[in-house]
Amino acid sequence: MSRFAMMATMVLGLALGVAGSAQADTKQVFDFYCAQCHGEKGDGKGVNVTKDFATDPRNFTNKADMEKRSDEDIRGVIKDGGPSISKSPLMPPWGATLSAADVDGLLAYIRKMCDCKGK
Amino acid sequence: MKLLAVTVSVGAALLVMTTATSYAAGGDAVFKKSCASCHYTDGPAKEKTIADQLAKKGPELWYAGSKFQKAWLAAWLQDPKPIRALKYNSLTDKNKGDHPKSSAADAAALTDYLMGLTSPEVKAGVIKPATTPQAKQIFNKKMPCSGCHSFPSGGEVHGGLSGPSLVGAAKRLNPDWTYAYLANIKHFKPVRDMPDFASVLNPKELEAVAAYVATFE
Repeated sequence: MSRFAMMATMVLGLALGVAGSAQADTKQVFDFYCAQCHGEKGDGKGVNVTKDFATDPRNFTNKADMEKRSDEDIRGVIKDGGPSISKSPLMPPWGATLSAADVDGLLAYIRKMCDCKGK
Repeated sequence: MKLLAVTVSVGAALLVMTTATSYAAGGDAVFKKSCASCHYTDGPAKEKTIADQLAKKGPELWYAGSKFQKAWLAAWLQDPKPIRALKYNSLTDKNKGDHPKSSAADAAALTDYLMGLTSPEVKAGVIKPATTPQAKQIFNKKMPCSGCHSFPSGGEVHGGLSGPSLVGAAKRLNPDWTYAYLANIKHFKPVRDMPDFASVLNPKELEAVAAYVATFE
């Protein structure tokens, strides 16, 4: 292997490692803050969804539904809660808890779950 | 004679001090032996990351004396019933209700020790139990605590499962602590899966919620 190929492999490996670790961190953020209502799979079946839960938490794996939401809608609802887009207050505001980077990470994670882009 | 009286008084005072010290140290020693593998008591809060929080096996107790009511704590340590539906830090595993039981003597020593662990953030005598339409509206609708916490209503238990139950909060929690926790949650738990409601509710609204929670039998 040429010196260039070795260097390129190392750089690529390092980049993938960084991406992998960011992905792991975002999963941890999602599981810690969001999974209690949206479920670890993002299917809206979190442990808090009992007979008393007055709404269906968003199912992030529903591509057709999630395509209707813009990235700004999703960022906004994470930061300011459901009422910010006329949805349930059972989605609380996380703006005072999560960093902008956390919110961007969650948006990317959710987009991966729905395999979709916003409108 | 006067010298004898002084000597006896000083001796008695020393005895009282020694007894008090050894009693407190007793609770501390019991804690180190039986509780410290799951709970920490040397505040302020240590958690900086989600991983720090997930590494904990049980709740932090460095403000236990501000949080709990003494009579409840002494009884619970001898006969611990689950406060959370789920295992600590888990969204999948049920709470097995396997918290160790303490003997009456250990529970008394632990209670004295834990009730001495207070936070200056908690101002005493501010919140009195009260049910108001405003508090019910916030608790159930505006910022629904009920989404994550179970609570008593109409003789039944309702609400979500991820947070600690609020059933029995009237006897378990110090309402002044509940208010302080809502008003400055980062001081008590910098990393937690509960939003910072002080960012969206004003102090009067937080007081109303704390007073309402204090009515939950």
